[in-house]
Amino acid sequence: MNMHTQPQRTPAETALIDAFGDRLSLLPGDGAVMLKRDDAIEAIKHGLPTRRIESWHYTDLRRLLNVVPAFDPAALAKAVAPIVEGSAVLPVLNGTSDAKAPAIEGVAVQRLSEKLIDGSIVLGLDPYGSDDAIGALNTAFVADGYFVDIADGVELEKPIELQNLQAGGQTHVRLPVRVGAGAKAVIVERQAGEGAALVSSVSQLVLGEGAEVTWLIVQEQPDTATHLAQFKAHIGKNAKLTLFVMNAGGKLVRQEIMVKTTGEGADFKLRGINLLAGDAHTDVTMVLDHAVPHTTSTEIIRNVVTGKARGVFQGRINVHQYAQKTNAKMACNTLLLSDDGEFSTKPELEIFADDVVCGHGATVTEIDHDHLFYLMARGVDEKSARGLLVKAFVAEVIEELDDVTIVEALEARLDDWFLTHG
Amino acid sequence: MPAVQDTIDRVRKIDVDQYKYGFETEIAVDKAPKGLSEDIIRFISAKKDEPSWMLEWRLEAYRRWLTLEEPTWARVHYPKIDFQDIYYYAAPKSTPGPTSLSDVDPEILKVYEKLGIPLKEQEILAGVQKTDVSELEEASDNVYKSGRVAVDAVFDSVSVVTTFKKELAQAGVIFCSISEAIREHPELVQKYLGSVVPTSDNYYATLNSAVFTDGSFVFVPKGVRCPMELSTYFRMNEKNTGQFERTLIIAEEGAYVSYLEGCTAPQRDENQLHAAVVELVALDDAEIKYSTVQNWYPGDADGKGGIYNFVTKRGDCRGDRSKISWTQVETGSAITWKYPSCILRGDDSSGEFYSIAVSNGYQQVDSGTKMIHLGKNTSSRIISKGIAAGFSQNTYRGQVSAHRKATNARNFTNCDSLLIGDQCGAHTVPYMEAKNSTAQFEHEATTSKISEDQKFYVMQRGIPEEEAIALIVNGFVKDVIQQLPMEFAVEAQKLIGISLEGSVG
Repeated sequence: MNMHTQPQRTPAETALIDAFGDRLSLLPGDGAVMLKRDDAIEAIKHGLPTRRIESWHYTDLRRLLNVVPAFDPAALAKAVAPIVEGSAVLPVLNGTSDAKAPAIEGVAVQRLSEKLIDGSIVLGLDPYGSDDAIGALNTAFVADGYFVDIADGVELEKPIELQNLQAGGQTHVRLPVRVGAGAKAVIVERQAGEGAALVSSVSQLVLGEGAEVTWLIVQEQPDTATHLAQFKAHIGKNAKLTLFVMNAGGKLVRQEIMVKTTGEGADFKLRGINLLAGDAHTDVTMVLDHAVPHTTSTEIIRNVVTGKARGVFQGRINVHQYAQKTNAKMACNTLLLSDDGEFSTKPELEIFADDVVCGHGATVTEIDHDHLFYLMARGVDEKSARGLLVKAFVAEVIEELDDVTIVEALEARLDDWFLTHG
Repeated sequence: MPAVQDTIDRVRKIDVDQYKYGFETEIAVDKAPKGLSEDIIRFISAKKDEPSWMLEWRLEAYRRWLTLEEPTWARVHYPKIDFQDIYYYAAPKSTPGPTSLSDVDPEILKVYEKLGIPLKEQEILAGVQKTDVSELEEASDNVYKSGRVAVDAVFDSVSVVTTFKKELAQAGVIFCSISEAIREHPELVQKYLGSVVPTSDNYYATLNSAVFTDGSFVFVPKGVRCPMELSTYFRMNEKNTGQFERTLIIAEEGAYVSYLEGCTAPQRDENQLHAAVVELVALDDAEIKYSTVQNWYPGDADGKGGIYNFVTKRGDCRGDRSKISWTQVETGSAITWKYPSCILRGDDSSGEFYSIAVSNGYQQVDSGTKMIHLGKNTSSRIISKGIAAGFSQNTYRGQVSAHRKATNARNFTNCDSLLIGDQCGAHTVPYMEAKNSTAQFEHEATTSKISEDQKFYVMQRGIPEEEAIALIVNGFVKDVIQQLPMEFAVEAQKLIGISLEGSVG
């Protein structure tokens, strides 16, 4: 056998390692946090993941991450209006939280930088494995964000909107949220900006017994930005989580979703829309662990690929040996609208329990010619007919959300994308 | 319902008692020294009386193999294989000329008789020895009428006998061992060998290219519909040997051939390696149907022993409107690592993959297919049924891809898994890659246990539980069984019954 030599570092890897050296003195954290950062940068020194790493099979980060912008202290991002009027907005502008964030009744909000300094969130900083490049990158550089704690039994009337907005440079943000027993909330995670930035963002959600949360990720980065994000959740006993993800921007996007059902009766719904244009590379990777008996999940992902865009959906459902009576279903449907575009999907089932009902379906296709004919026979011109069909294809997923104001808000974002991408 | 204790107990009882082919036969053998080196390859090549180009080809593969690393991506776990602790060549000593059967060691014939393969039939054995033309024609008439099967039997490293050769030759079909083909038809072998699975393809295929000892060769010329089913029977008998066979099937323009392979091995405590390569080439309008009933020794109740089955099978639909269809029934082997694939290169070509993988005891199966759509209007269909019982792990891993120029590529994939007992695992890992907007891919997969409703429905009609489950399992795999040639469909159905005996109900 031949010996493997450490391949040469790419410019991006070198830039990250150098940036860490430069940045170290400015990064908040007690001794334990700083040790975690050291471990994390060591992981990056071993090289960014390539397609040889199974979980990065379709997103060769080492090859795709070409440019790492320097930190830009002068960058000035502006807060934007929340997608649902009247929401409580918690903005993170260029990686820095707002000291004067609004107070919300029943909710304790703390700046993450404070929790890094006092070391109280050190346990959440560990990457989940050797292939967790986003976790490692974020742990190494994270400087701020918010820690949101919704007390037991609190039912929020208005959504909380966590805004992570950038104007170039690098931003590394973490958003841990705890939702107490029986609490109800709608949380919007807004990812946007206007620079050629490198963004890493990790959201961590813990749902107490019987809690109900709708979490909306709306990602509208400019087509110059690299967006590496993670959403991790633990769903407790009889708790319900509906996660809605909309990717409508970015140049290189990887959105990881890692969800674990930790209590019986937990229910997870994932609804996702990926709108791909230009030469974007968008990867949504989900790992769902059914770790206890009697839990349910459904996932529906709809993708629209135009231009030279490349889309990826990897979805793995793990059913642990003791997780009997699991009911899990996943579907991934893709409309491939251009010959230069491509879409790869890998829906996986890993099942170790026997009394389960699990299934997945995946399709890749173009617009149904019969549907098109039907509309055109009624006098709708081809372009509008196509537009209608594509929009209907993705809007179906939004309409499943119960709340009318949220549905309207998301449809407005959808219309925005169709306006600019025709 | 979680597995009841009763079911678990029954699962425990099976496999050792169930494996009917675990006997070992005392036959004088001619072996190469243990281990692998250029000298061993020269030894094999010399034993086979091969031309120098073949030796060069082998040595090149061997040098390449030395630079490769064993793949680890499959969902199978096993201790590292010591490639120096294997005999790469073992041949029954009394190997006769391939056309004459009278000299064949009666022990070998007894083996095949025990296995119940068509070879044992005395008339066929006699038929091979017939040289008179009129009798030959009569014999081939019989073939048409009775649907008999021509068999190439491979014992450890060499092909011991091929039946019906002359009858086939009359139709223009060449069916012989690959060693013979290398000697008799070097132009065909040189043209096609390694053209589908190159020597550099993967770790085990490269190893096979270096050390393959025998296998079957089929050539069906232009416009010929092969008059009978062809079949190969593989048997590993010797201790510590690896079996590395190589099969090459070529169907010229408009030709058709249906081919079946079967395999068994004795029961042993150590693991034995089987690394085969199968290459299929279908030219314009040709069709190849390749069926496998794999029943290597799966190991005992504690997962001790059994065959490591690391196989590379690939079909190349090189011509327009060509078709390759893989059907497999996998019930044996301790570890199966096998992905019969189709390269759909010709326009309007189509590929099919039908699979039943049954795992029990501590078996590990990681199997599936690849459908690579390159030509226009190509279509593929994948039906995979996995049944996991005992402590086994059963994985479907498949890839469907449409390249930029593969306009109107179509795929339908269906993989269902059935779990019997709560100690086993069923996994589905499909990869779908579309680079063409007119491609249409559909994939569906389900995993469940036998539904109580179905069982109740059948039992309500007075059918006992065990039969009810057998009925449901048979219904579950029906789509695949239907694709097998008739004689083997019956055999496969029985095999599945045996593999699962005691684990269901």
